[in-house]
Amino acid sequence: MIDLKFDCVSKKYRIYQEPEGKASENKLRRVTRRLWGNRNDFWALRDVSFEVERGEALGIIGQNGAGKSTVLKLLYNITAPTKGRISINGRLAALIEVASGFHPDLTGRENIYLNGALLGMRRREIGKKLDSIVDFAGVSAFIDTPVKRYSSGMYLRLGFSIAAYLDPDILLLDEVLAVGDAEFQSKCIERIKQLRKAGTTIVFVSHNLGAVEGICDRVFLLRQGQIFRSGLPRNVISEYEHMLTNMPASTPARLISTAASSAAAVVSVAFLNSEGRKTTTFATGDEARVDVEYIAHESVDDAVIEIYFYSIFGNLHTHFSTDVDGKRLDLAPGRGLIEFLCPDLPFEAATFNVEASIRRRGSSLSEHLDYKHAAIVNITKGKAVHGAFHSPHTWRMKRMERDDDKTVVKNAD
Amino acid sequence: MISAKGSSSSTRTTLQHRSEPRRISVLSPPSLSGSNLINDLAKLRQYSDLLLTLSIHRIKVRYKQSVLGIFWAILQPLSMMLIFTFIFSLIAKMPSEGAPYAIFAYTALLPWNYFSSGVSNATNSLVSHAQFVTKVYFPREILPITYVVAALFDFVVASTLLAGLMIYYHVSLTVNVFYAVPIILVVSCFALAMSFFFSATQVRFRDIGVAVPLLLQVWLFATPVIYPLSAVPLRWRPFYVLNPMVGVIEGFRQVILRGAAPETRSLLISAVISVILLVASYLYFKRVEATMADFV
Repeated sequence: MIDLKFDCVSKKYRIYQEPEGKASENKLRRVTRRLWGNRNDFWALRDVSFEVERGEALGIIGQNGAGKSTVLKLLYNITAPTKGRISINGRLAALIEVASGFHPDLTGRENIYLNGALLGMRRREIGKKLDSIVDFAGVSAFIDTPVKRYSSGMYLRLGFSIAAYLDPDILLLDEVLAVGDAEFQSKCIERIKQLRKAGTTIVFVSHNLGAVEGICDRVFLLRQGQIFRSGLPRNVISEYEHMLTNMPASTPARLISTAASSAAAVVSVAFLNSEGRKTTTFATGDEARVDVEYIAHESVDDAVIEIYFYSIFGNLHTHFSTDVDGKRLDLAPGRGLIEFLCPDLPFEAATFNVEASIRRRGSSLSEHLDYKHAAIVNITKGKAVHGAFHSPHTWRMKRMERDDDKTVVKNAD
Repeated sequence: MISAKGSSSSTRTTLQHRSEPRRISVLSPPSLSGSNLINDLAKLRQYSDLLLTLSIHRIKVRYKQSVLGIFWAILQPLSMMLIFTFIFSLIAKMPSEGAPYAIFAYTALLPWNYFSSGVSNATNSLVSHAQFVTKVYFPREILPITYVVAALFDFVVASTLLAGLMIYYHVSLTVNVFYAVPIILVVSCFALAMSFFFSATQVRFRDIGVAVPLLLQVWLFATPVIYPLSAVPLRWRPFYVLNPMVGVIEGFRQVILRGAAPETRSLLISAVISVILLVASYLYFKRVEATMADFV
């Protein structure tokens, strides 16, 4: 039984370029240009065809701009395809940016009704599930408080709970597992697994490769609007990782400020594991080496080289800097290689956007000589982390008192 | 099936409750065809709960953190009535066909305000709900409709003052007052037609947001609100009545103030134009809706 079917689906976006603000230009011409001229067509998806069986969990991965969200938007009928046909068999619900439909002035209860209705539920149906939703979100004490007084965590938990209790035939998931604390996240995964067991068809779009591998039966790798690979999660994910690793660091993905100065630039950034092999997948606690190759066109006195770790949502997790930990660095004109060694990677299992920069010491963080996207690094479960990070440490027993015989066991030190 | 342990029991029941048959939906490139109309209306019916929830929400939120609350619904037409009465009855002598000018103006201001506040609020409805439009699927026409519903609610509230005025000026009701129902129905159709057209166009051309208030101001003077229809020169009438608001405003006044049946011809013109425009603008709206999220 086929639940979802894409039949040669293409989606074109028009990118309008505002005419340059020349005051002398004829107003009428500007209006006509606005209406008819200056369009660039961008094909977000090109002739994509696939089918999803009932009860199957399909993962879609790929870099930003590969067309992942377009697939979701089309499936969810937020926008129509330019060509092709999409057939959907059953009720489809999406968990895309939960809580976007909340109204701050209304209470939690009123918002449950409003959001449920937005997701296509009937009032009667919502009333039946109200208790489960409130329980799951853990906001029962505040259910009659306006949501503007909620903490951001409560806000998101409530949003997720509403969608999680829709009981759709087909569920679309988009980075929702980043909601709330670790405990809530595991509850969410539990809920998704329950829905899976009950036969819900799932489409999961994520940068969290670990979660994709854990949930999905089959994975697509999208690249430039087309299905580049499809197959078992393990195979497609490792191919994707391979693809990311071999990408030159000069990918213009997040180039910020190179034009301002060309005194020095980052040429490439390579991640190596303890065996010295190139990879972008590490486990928590692994040893990691990062080789940053630079080129200096003139001598740069007192340079600082930095590596930034961003979450996929753009929050800075940490940055390693020669300014903080290294010696003074004077770059002579020419190429060079600087190695950063981390014996014990402290991150929780997650995906990080890593960026590298060169700047002069004392310059502000925005005055980089070069700043570019280096890689997407995937950290998998290694040393157990409950919380945000792992820190190298040791334990020693100092004293132990027994209640029953009052003998004191002392550590031999 | 999943195991029925602890908290998962609620899941189990909800999963078993699903008995309705699965519906196959096909999404394809937008096309302007009348055959989709039935489909669209069926979809709208499916979402009637959202329409209801959002309309109630709209009415609640509007007056929630204001001191005068629901009295604003009366205060708006009342203040316009006082201004018009001051200018056109005390300063300029405007004919009012024998009725006291205050009630003469107020009876017309009621349906006019319903129309104009409904349309002007609905025009921005899609743009101001961009976060819904780009994130969640639902029939988009619900958004403009809720504003028209909220305006209808204001109309009902403001009607209480009309009842007060009628008692004060000793205007008695006749059986003909029931004509007010089809008249308001026609106003609703026309307000919806304009709302669909303007809100859908506003998504691509923000000029509409600026143009509509101006248009409504001009429109007010092109409608017999502050003056009677009889003041319009006869040779202009054939064109004048093409404005659907003419038939309904004049009809409403006829029904309430004079207790007579409305003039059928002009009311019929209004009704026919309104319904045709409603169907056309709904089709246009649904066509634009398909890719609305890409522009909003």
